Amino acid sequence: MKKRISLIVLATTVMVSVLSACGGSGGNAETSGQGEGGSKQTKTLRFATWDTGDALKIEQDIAKKFEAAHPGTKVQVEAYADGFDQKLAAGFGAANPPDVMYMWDFPTYHQSLEPLDGYADKDPDLNIDDFYKGLFNYGKIGDTLYGIPAGFTTRVVYYNKKLFDEAGVPYPKDGWTWAEFQDIAQKLTDKSKKQYGFGVRAENDTYDLQGFVWSNGSSFISPDGKAIDGYMNSKETAEAIQMFGDMVKNGSAVLTGGKGQQSGDDIFKAGKIAMWESGIWPLESFKQAGVDVGTVEMPAFPGKPVKGVLAESALSIAKDSKQKDLAWEFVKFYVSNDSIKMRVADLPVRQSVVTELKKDQDPLYKPFYAMLERSSDTPAFLLNPKWNEVNRQLSAAVEAVMHGASAQEVLNQAVKDSERYLK
Amino acid sequence: MKGQRLRQLYRRLVSGSYRSIRTKLLVCFLIVALIPLLSLGAVSYYQSAKMINSQFGKYGENAVAQLEQQTNSSLGRMKQTSETIYSYLLDPARTGLGNRVPVTYSEIIEKNDFEALLKSLRTDRTAGIYIITPSGYYYGESNLDVAKLDNIPAWKSRPASYQGTYWLGFYEQNHAMRGDDSHLPVLGLAVPIHHPNGAQDGSTILIEENAGELLHMFRLFEEDTKAHLTIKSPDGRLIYESASKFAPKKNDVIWERTLAVNQWTIEARLPAKAFYKSSGVIRSNTVVVAVISCVLAFGLAYVFSSRFTARIRTLKDSMQKVSFGKLDTRLPVEGRDELGSLDMSFNRMVSGVQTLIEEVEQSERLKKEAELRAFHYQINPHLLFNTLNSIQWKARLEGAEEIRHMLYHLTMVLEGNLDISQELITLGRELRMIDHFLKIQEIRYGEVFRYDLHCGESLKRYLIPRMTLQPLFENIFFHGFTDGVGSIELDVREDNDDLVLTLKDDGAGIAAEKLEQLFKPKPESRGRGGLGVQNADQKFKLHFGPPYGLTVHSTKGEGTTILIRWPKKEEGSDGDGKKN
Repeated sequence: MKKRISLIVLATTVMVSVLSACGGSGGNAETSGQGEGGSKQTKTLRFATWDTGDALKIEQDIAKKFEAAHPGTKVQVEAYADGFDQKLAAGFGAANPPDVMYMWDFPTYHQSLEPLDGYADKDPDLNIDDFYKGLFNYGKIGDTLYGIPAGFTTRVVYYNKKLFDEAGVPYPKDGWTWAEFQDIAQKLTDKSKKQYGFGVRAENDTYDLQGFVWSNGSSFISPDGKAIDGYMNSKETAEAIQMFGDMVKNGSAVLTGGKGQQSGDDIFKAGKIAMWESGIWPLESFKQAGVDVGTVEMPAFPGKPVKGVLAESALSIAKDSKQKDLAWEFVKFYVSNDSIKMRVADLPVRQSVVTELKKDQDPLYKPFYAMLERSSDTPAFLLNPKWNEVNRQLSAAVEAVMHGASAQEVLNQAVKDSERYLK
Repeated sequence: MKGQRLRQLYRRLVSGSYRSIRTKLLVCFLIVALIPLLSLGAVSYYQSAKMINSQFGKYGENAVAQLEQQTNSSLGRMKQTSETIYSYLLDPARTGLGNRVPVTYSEIIEKNDFEALLKSLRTDRTAGIYIITPSGYYYGESNLDVAKLDNIPAWKSRPASYQGTYWLGFYEQNHAMRGDDSHLPVLGLAVPIHHPNGAQDGSTILIEENAGELLHMFRLFEEDTKAHLTIKSPDGRLIYESASKFAPKKNDVIWERTLAVNQWTIEARLPAKAFYKSSGVIRSNTVVVAVISCVLAFGLAYVFSSRFTARIRTLKDSMQKVSFGKLDTRLPVEGRDELGSLDMSFNRMVSGVQTLIEEVEQSERLKKEAELRAFHYQINPHLLFNTLNSIQWKARLEGAEEIRHMLYHLTMVLEGNLDISQELITLGRELRMIDHFLKIQEIRYGEVFRYDLHCGESLKRYLIPRMTLQPLFENIFFHGFTDGVGSIELDVREDNDDLVLTLKDDGAGIAAEKLEQLFKPKPESRGRGGLGVQNADQKFKLHFGPPYGLTVHSTKGEGTTILIRWPKKEEGSDGDGKKN
């Protein structure tokens, strides 16, 4: 009997020590084996965006609504931010692109995108006639539609009413001229207060400058997209760009956004520049910063019609997508009235929404729609697929002008350097 | 109740009066149970503790190696980036890059190309790549406020004439152009450019990499192992230290690694106490189990030994009782083990003793009774014999020869009967007395019966209890014969060491039922006849033992045969006869 007892006790001792020995090293075993199993039922739709911050949050909310409306679907919002182009190119290169993506540079990417005419024509839900007509031009290459407009903005002049009031200068009105603009800028400049009439970007996106060039009756490139000499370096083009360089030179404007410089949006918010030229994007932040802001259409060159440039974002579907129908559903959902209303950082692409929200009646928004009417010219990048190469020289030239170079000289130089890309 | 028992036990143990088998058994059992138990527990503890310690040690070693590898790869990447930029800047074809704000078209083209390179060098981890010129102008993303670079702790203390790489360590990236600093934890590297006569001489390459993941790993490691992590540069500058307070001790367990890229040393210190914690858990478990099993072993040993000794004690108590005379004491027999058989033999022994004593008692009682009776009958023999002699003389004088003969024979018979000084007499003497008795009967009845005696002379010297044959002869005459007519045959022969006496008559015989009654002791009965047989039987048994005595065979109407068997015994060979 004794023997049995000691055996039992012994076995218990051994077991306890073995158990406690296991306890020490057993913690790492359960990390794998999860994350699988659910994927069979739920389809994952990848959606790539360049937005960040508030705009990204809105897009994620829309994605969640789509998931709620389509059970069994998960929308994976991929925020590429600054690296949008690289990551997208990498995705296409690896034949593993996001299913749906934001798109503007159709000349570069259209070969990787799914033509959408078939979907748009067949699907009456899209209600294609409700879109602003001009928007579709930007999503077409040739006659093929590659992107459904999701949002857009035109460019207007913001002005700080308080600074105008302080200087006793009347608010600018639609139909004003660049001469009046420069005059007002001079008046509103007070160097002692480090206050300037206008802010000039040190590093401009040449795309945004096209409105001014068009307004002066010129363009960066010939209408057939084949020639830049005589267009990019024309007298009118140089004049329009020189104007901003001159304003910096004479002190009525300040350089913004360069090395060691605050961004124009921030300076405007701080009330240190009276006028600022931009799209719809910063409007909300200006309001939040408590700036008493007004908007006005772009000024005109004497005797010439004012032209606007349209910045549009569209949604495209990758050619390599494995679930194009679902992707189309998402695109449609994204440009539905409800979704558009959620997206306050863009202007609505549907006329019905604009009418419903009375945006075109709002004096702050009205100039944007007025500028939309004037945005009939075709941007350079749509006219020549090599435009990105040309643009490198043009950008450098424009930047040099802002630092005091002669516009005509540097544009001639840029044309000379760029010619080889067009041959 | 329990407490009382314990107290009792304690008292017993303390007083030392309990140095019994039970204590010895208990100690023995405990030793037998505890030695293997404790040694096994100790062995299993030492082995598992050793295993766990070595595993944990290896785990820590690996974890630190992993940290080293991760940090190394970050540092290596940064260093590589800086080298790429450095060599780009030293390229004679890149002289267009100035150390001031680029304003001309060509300068801007150069700047754009360079910044495109910087952009291409960025990875997911990159938090910033800048080339800061002495003028304050910098290349890189336009989000740097050069004035705020002094927020970097190690930036200001950077030696002016530094050659090679200068690692800034971990810090928060708080030098953004915009007011809201990111507080992003980064790892920084500053590389001063030495390029005599070059435009970039005196500029500094600043590479920053997001260190969130790395710091997270450090924190995970700290949480995991409870170790204290420090990273030091070769010149003794503290790069990183765990937030937890820590006092280094000599016996700390130390894992140490040196980073290949910049000779930083990663040192993880773990207090010995924490390191041996898990083996401590095993130890305490082992101790708990050992204690429990000790208690269990003690309890079981106690129960078992007390059960065992309780039986021995019962046996002892019973023996004591028996020694006090309680012979009806019996033990309950528990089990069939050795103790059980001991119980059984004890019981057998006691019952044997009891029967023996009962027998002795019985025989003593009978002896006493017989003596008493004899005493009762003992009339003053002298008076009787003198009187009888006087009568005999008178009868001789009167010439009544027959009466004198009768008296003579009677005197002889009585003499034998009344002489109680000897219990055992020779067979010859008994036979002579029978002769006298028969003479009396002859005178009384006349010569009507026949008496045949067959007895060798040599047998006559053996002893026989006194007055055993005469009552049997009396029985024959009083019950067997009518008016003394019949024949009696007495035959004595030897059978090995025994003598066998056969007394045969052809009288009336005894009825079967009466024959049964013959040997039953009935001291109350005063009936004649039976008493003689029984007495005789008793006498033989008393003197020679139970195996000896009388056997009676009788058939009604045909006579009776009595067989007597007793051992040969001569006068003087044994003290028995003389003593009495």
